[in-house]
Amino acid sequence: MASEPNVEVTPGASGNPWRLAWRRLRRNRVALAFLGLFLLIVAFVGAAPLWADNVAHTGPNKTHTLEKIEVDGKAREVVNREGKPIGPQWFEAGGRFFLGADGRLGRDEMVRLMYGGRISLFIGIVSALLTTVLATILGLLAGYYRGWTDTLISRVLDVVWAFPVMLLSIALGVSLALGGLQIGPLRVSGDSIWIPVLIIGGVSIPYVARPLRGQVLSLREKEFVEASVAQGAGPLRVMFGELLPNLSSTIIVLFTLTIANNMLLESALSFLGVGVQPPNTSWGTMIAGGFDLLTSAPLLTVIPSVMILLTVLSVNVFGDGLRDALDPNSKLRLAAHAGISEPEGTAV
Amino acid sequence: MRKLGSVALVLVLAVGAALGLAACGSSGGKEGGTLTGTYASFPSYLDPALSYEVEGWTAMYDTYLPLLTYAHANGTAGSKVVPALAESLPKISNGGKTYTLTLRKGLKYSNGAPVLASDFASSIERLFKMNSPGIGFYEHIVGAEKFAKTKSGRISGIKTDDTTGKIVIDLTNPRGTFTNELGMLFAAVLPSGTPAKNLTADPPPATGPYMITKSEPGRGWSYARNPYWAKANGPRISEVPAGHVDKIDIRVIRNDSTQVNEIERGKANWMQTPISSDLYNKVKDKYEGTQFRVEHPINLYLFWINTEKPPFNDVKVRQAVNYAINPAALERIYSGSLAATHQILPEGMPGHKPFDLYPHNMAKAKELFAEANPSDRNITVWTDNESPNNEAGEYYEGVLNELGFNAKLKTINADNYYAIIGNETTPDLDTGWLSFYEDYPHPNDFFQPMLDGESIAPTYNTNLSRMNDPKLNAKIAKLAEEPLGPQQEAEYGKLDKEFMELAPMVPYGTNTVSTFVSKEIDLDKVIFNPTFGQDLTSFQFK
Repeated sequence: MASEPNVEVTPGASGNPWRLAWRRLRRNRVALAFLGLFLLIVAFVGAAPLWADNVAHTGPNKTHTLEKIEVDGKAREVVNREGKPIGPQWFEAGGRFFLGADGRLGRDEMVRLMYGGRISLFIGIVSALLTTVLATILGLLAGYYRGWTDTLISRVLDVVWAFPVMLLSIALGVSLALGGLQIGPLRVSGDSIWIPVLIIGGVSIPYVARPLRGQVLSLREKEFVEASVAQGAGPLRVMFGELLPNLSSTIIVLFTLTIANNMLLESALSFLGVGVQPPNTSWGTMIAGGFDLLTSAPLLTVIPSVMILLTVLSVNVFGDGLRDALDPNSKLRLAAHAGISEPEGTAV
Repeated sequence: MRKLGSVALVLVLAVGAALGLAACGSSGGKEGGTLTGTYASFPSYLDPALSYEVEGWTAMYDTYLPLLTYAHANGTAGSKVVPALAESLPKISNGGKTYTLTLRKGLKYSNGAPVLASDFASSIERLFKMNSPGIGFYEHIVGAEKFAKTKSGRISGIKTDDTTGKIVIDLTNPRGTFTNELGMLFAAVLPSGTPAKNLTADPPPATGPYMITKSEPGRGWSYARNPYWAKANGPRISEVPAGHVDKIDIRVIRNDSTQVNEIERGKANWMQTPISSDLYNKVKDKYEGTQFRVEHPINLYLFWINTEKPPFNDVKVRQAVNYAINPAALERIYSGSLAATHQILPEGMPGHKPFDLYPHNMAKAKELFAEANPSDRNITVWTDNESPNNEAGEYYEGVLNELGFNAKLKTINADNYYAIIGNETTPDLDTGWLSFYEDYPHPNDFFQPMLDGESIAPTYNTNLSRMNDPKLNAKIAKLAEEPLGPQQEAEYGKLDKEFMELAPMVPYGTNTVSTFVSKEIDLDKVIFNPTFGQDLTSFQFK
């Protein structure tokens, strides 16, 4: 049986839940360390143009198949006659081909890793944003109105949920990669990175909307909602003025966890050729490209895989920490469920 | 008793020897067993009327027989046309316009139904009903053009007699390549009444030594011996071997290193997929001569250019693209398995005379591009997703952007690449990658399907450049009427140059392929036909 945890009560801070959450988060050093790692990765990919222009002197899609570079005073082919790319040169070629060439096209692996990371992060974050915004709206509508609105939204979400997420994404990816997407006057071409953003953002909605709907159903029965309605507040005011602020901690946590999931999904889709379309690159397409040279140049597969691992891990651990900080009850529930007692003096 | 005993001993020895011989097979290997093969992708079609790629032709060479076929032999011997369902090669009369053949008697399909002469007519009609990519080869039959439009009635130029098996084909004009064309898989004989639709998932009955028993598009397919081969067809068609193995299972495994691994572990016996550069030299060094062999099919790797619409309707733009491409870079992308060329007729094809009108010169390319100054610079570059073709496409896209285009790459799954780029309703068919393997050993084969205006079709189009120059069309037609001799070969050489002056494509090389088998298979016996690839009847367990 779980013992009663010590709950820290800070005088004067109880009125500001955000400050309280920040204090809890600050004490979670593991979560902060992984936030630091994530920010480092963001800085790394953000520096792509600087590295490309000033160190590597090439772009992510520039091919160097027939070129030679000077290493220790000797000319070396970027791609040899058998099609094998040059390996990591670190700083021996002045930073050019720091991680070697990416394959038979002789593109700079380091530059592609940095630019690929930008696309992977962009898709992960923007699709998670899209998922969260749409899921929040649907969850609020379904939970607040209930009745046929809830039935309609929930059944549509059930239909999407019924498909394995990967299968649905592949099917959409294959069809949209060829013909693109036309919504009224808005046209998105098949090779645009907005296609994976829309697909991944779309298929993830049920996984966020369902828990939010449940929480709205519970919140709308609370006294503060009744009071707001009694004061004459309309549905929009109640949903966005009363319910939404009370959902914010859940939304923030789900958003961070969705980023990690969406990045993994993007990598898988790009690996299968239905995500980011060449010559654009993401870490997923880099793994796919490196896979052809797995035996002779394994680093081409390993390096982008490690980048995905670190990014997803950092976002997940930070997301967990954020959840613990914003919703201490969840940690209590988990601890009680696992039969773990909180150590003395731990803030929860 | 003693006499009886010695007779018994002799009998035992004789039976033992017979059993021993049977077990070893007449040529020293085992008879029977199941051959497991791997493909990197499912062929676009397992329907002889629709398949127009080497993967499909390899799969159906021993399944669907035409009236004539190509000898089951390696190298140039495999380019010889031999009778298959017909008793002999055609009798050509009426100034080269009438071909007379006779169907062998007593032939049966794998479902037991008799093969009839009229089935040949319905099979050719089926091609036109389905807008097959092969219709260009048979549209010179009298009445074929009308049938192509109406898709009803019969093709008047094919007269058949089911009682005698006689087949008379009248052509509108003499055609020196028609014997070759009768040996193509498109002319395979199927039962009358075979639905005029893609039967990849439910293949029609076979006439060859093997029949397809199961087809799961995207995953694989299986063969068993055609039960009527031994009973009916085999004894009558000596030109087609019966095959050694009893069953063949083909599985689609996308990754070639997995395929190599399966063969090394003995889980697969043969891979149809050429080995990628990552493994090519390793496998070659380790297994050449015992399990690995380099093959030299006649082919051309190229980038087609749509000459019909801007910006490529301007010859200067097309010439600029030809100057911009560097075949040496593509040689590396293909890891040395590709020999660079910059003309239409590849080495080994009659009429080939080496020349290069567009040696790589980016400055000259940019100069021509500036002169042309195309207003529309947004183009789409098409390629499939198999390595290194996808990398060739990426290289091409990069070169076009360097030249001044705003090129976007579209990479399509290899399973349906040709179906998509061959469909005129597909948007943005500007330029893209293509490999073309010979249909038959005749130079006309490299001009008519790819560059003759008459080959432009709404679906399954093979003239992807949509080249339609009346003068050159007439030259192709005239040369096609004549039997191939030194004068014609020289004319084809000239035609090659004339086409390249108009630059409807960027030919960049000819590629080698490989045969890689497991140690249980006798590599020396595996036949690689220059047109059809590996001959399934030749695989034998040691």
